[in-house]
Amino acid sequence: MKIKGFLKDVGGASRVTKMRQELIANGSPVPDPKDPIRELADLLHPGKQQFTVTEIREASPTSTTYRFSPVNGHVPVFQSGQYVNFYLTVGESVLTRAYSISSAPYEARLDEPFFEVTIRHNVHYLVPDWFQENVKPGTEITAALPFGQFNYEPLRDSDHVVGIAGGSGITPFVSMAKEIAHGKLDIDLTIIYGSVKHTDIVCGDELEAARSACPDRIHVVHVMSEDEEWEGEKGFVTREIIEKYSPEGCSYFFCGPPVMFFMVDKIMNEMGVPMKRFRHDATAQPAVKLIPGFPMDQVGKTYKMTVVRGIHEDVIDAAADEPIAVALERSAIPIDTHCRGGECGFCRTQLLGGDIFVSPLNDGRRAMDKELGWFHACSAYPVSDLKIKIPII
Amino acid sequence: MKFYKDHYDVVIIGGALAGLSAALQLQQKGIRDILILEKHNLPGGLATSYVRNGIEIEATLHEMMSIGSKEDRLKVGVFFDECGVDIDWLKVPEAYRFVEPKKGIDITLHAGFETMSKEIDAKYPGWGPKVLEFMKLCNTVYDSMNILSVTPMSKPTMLMKHPEFVKTAGYTATEVIDTFGFPQDIVDILTPYWIYVGNPMSTLPFTIYAFLMADYFRGGSYVPRKYSHEMSLKLQTKAEENGAQIEFCQEVEKILVKDGKVTGVRTKRGDTINCDYVISGAYPNKVYTQMIEPLSEVPVGAVKMVNGRRLSVTTASVMMVLDDTPENLGIKDYNIFSAGDTMDTDEIWKENQTTGPYKYLTSICLDLANPGATPKGMCQFSITNLPLVKGFLDLKEEDYYDFKRKLASEMIDEYERVSGINIRDHIVEIEVSTPVTIAHYVGAWKGSIYGYSHSIDDHAVARLQMKEDDHYIDGLEFAGAHAISGNGMGPAVTNGRAAAKAVWEDMEKKAAAGGRNA
Repeated sequence: MKIKGFLKDVGGASRVTKMRQELIANGSPVPDPKDPIRELADLLHPGKQQFTVTEIREASPTSTTYRFSPVNGHVPVFQSGQYVNFYLTVGESVLTRAYSISSAPYEARLDEPFFEVTIRHNVHYLVPDWFQENVKPGTEITAALPFGQFNYEPLRDSDHVVGIAGGSGITPFVSMAKEIAHGKLDIDLTIIYGSVKHTDIVCGDELEAARSACPDRIHVVHVMSEDEEWEGEKGFVTREIIEKYSPEGCSYFFCGPPVMFFMVDKIMNEMGVPMKRFRHDATAQPAVKLIPGFPMDQVGKTYKMTVVRGIHEDVIDAAADEPIAVALERSAIPIDTHCRGGECGFCRTQLLGGDIFVSPLNDGRRAMDKELGWFHACSAYPVSDLKIKIPII
Repeated sequence: MKFYKDHYDVVIIGGALAGLSAALQLQQKGIRDILILEKHNLPGGLATSYVRNGIEIEATLHEMMSIGSKEDRLKVGVFFDECGVDIDWLKVPEAYRFVEPKKGIDITLHAGFETMSKEIDAKYPGWGPKVLEFMKLCNTVYDSMNILSVTPMSKPTMLMKHPEFVKTAGYTATEVIDTFGFPQDIVDILTPYWIYVGNPMSTLPFTIYAFLMADYFRGGSYVPRKYSHEMSLKLQTKAEENGAQIEFCQEVEKILVKDGKVTGVRTKRGDTINCDYVISGAYPNKVYTQMIEPLSEVPVGAVKMVNGRRLSVTTASVMMVLDDTPENLGIKDYNIFSAGDTMDTDEIWKENQTTGPYKYLTSICLDLANPGATPKGMCQFSITNLPLVKGFLDLKEEDYYDFKRKLASEMIDEYERVSGINIRDHIVEIEVSTPVTIAHYVGAWKGSIYGYSHSIDDHAVARLQMKEDDHYIDGLEFAGAHAISGNGMGPAVTNGRAAAKAVWEDMEKKAAAGGRNA
């Protein structure tokens, strides 16, 4: 065969080698360590940062809003509906806890940027009232953000979102409402918000401020389950109430306690709402009695769990009715959980021996992980002595 | 608390395909004192998947090359078999459908040289035999490349035994294709895979083009049943069974060097780990400008090398779960390459230096190769272009999410325009990946996915010839898209094996010379 002539053809390898030698010889001798893409990635996902608590205010008689200002002056861009992960020191343990951000994204872009979370009192989240008891103005705290996919996505969602919330599940919708009122989020938002009594409404003033600033776009329907004086909707959030306030073709977003999720999920099914039009926030695993299929005969048992980190091994106790992540936390072995509901996979863990029960709620494991024994520690429970491997933190 | 041993023979930076393959290859040679440090909490690098709302979504893999059927295993397939890594491979139904509306071209080609040449003949009568001859040339070059990359030989021997390889090595894909005198339509039809090496045909070495064409058309291509995470996790599992220590969430920040020799690494967490060899998945650009400690150990030649060479492409990809079956949506093909404007790759190349809108797109509907990849009544669908990072360098944090949506929206529009299929109304889940996504998850330099350009002036043949020249620090090898064989998941495995080979050859050399410290 011949391409351009025998000599030129057979000299090809030498020719391209010479070209490459020249290419490299012409390279600048000055090192160029700048990588703007990684820099941007690190701005968007900075990981753990230090924040100072700069404001604490009542969000209702039973909840408090905390404002966090970044020590380094930068809050990464986030979207309404996303969450922040806190690293809380309790004794010798560092516990990770996630909260939806209740402030608006635009507030993180101000000259003095911040974000806020609003926390219900007396809610058992392994560390009840940690914030109330430990956080004062000026307190420094470690946190990472943003995480989660509970945000409006114009390429997928209807531009009319119906947010169904229960209790402190209102916070992502508070963020959305504020962003809409500020002219930065181009959607209509109807919030159907279930509370026990009107005194339990979380962020009521802020919701009302956003609504009155933007009455054409933001609608708030309060539903009280045990409030005789209430003049609006009463009872639980039912199909009738949802249908009454839903425009045609809207997207439903749900955030609230697990029991309410089961109800709303059933209603969505009954209404024939397509999958595309119903989203729900990741929530922490509920008490085991609420987890379908949980082996209740295990309650009260304690197993030995060998925890491998690198070449180091610890043996700790693990209660059968608590997630494996909690057992690690109780023994002051750090594990980086985020959503605590099984979905996000940050606490992906390797099972080296023994048996576990994995909650079917929000099971976010990959198929091959399931097959080869990897699980998410926030949503798996020991049913025998165990040996696991986790990342070194 | 002590998490690491006092010393390892080999530390591998990055538990992606190259790093895991390097470990397996070292283990095959009996080298078992290996530590793999991975930045993310998953193996595989880009060969991975993610879960949204309970649905597992393939992150990157279009087609795994070099696997082959059970009867005709190709290089990577043979290696996995030898290592005892048993992956449930599913054959991709067609090579590709190629659509170029302006010229009225719409043709689907299947694997098999005879098959595809007949498919072209059916549309362009009389050209089949010539296409077959061309594909046979590609295959001859492919076979030679596989031999020569592991078995060095003298120039005269090479010319005698591998004349086609030698005689085409100095030319671009365009230069060799031109000698066949094909009509432009056929040239266009034979061009689509260019994007899988990310270099226009006019400067792409024919050797690389031929490798790609022969590999894909010879045995077809494959995907693992449980997404590319199946491949990654099974490689990891095997490497661990063989004794390697693998630690996740450990980004290596420094490679420690003394008197021109690697002595260890230091992680972001602050662990200093001693070792004799480092196989780096991190790009040479990063290693030689940020990671080597002290930087005074970096020879100026290494800096000139990374500055002189051009980075290849990155990715712009929109991945979706759709709420209906491919059949109901009208999606008939696993893989479509669409050239909305032109198939002149030099022209497309200009577009690919921007952030779009892009007109040359690759779309994949995974369920058509892997039924059951998505829950019943749905499917997963991606649209991808592989642009240069250039257009993305000035992106601002504040604009990032809007930018991603615009990018995705334009790609969906273009796909809908060319195919006439409605995608937009069926989106259940959507994720968009950009170079920033790549940089975040795998830390690749400037979000690159394909290493250095496969251009004629950075030819794989020249890289092989200059292997010794490119070696700057004793004990440091590279494994990733930035290594000799370049980009793609198949070549990643080959690159990993080559790095392992360099390590054990050096070990043997030093042992023969009386031990490393002698």
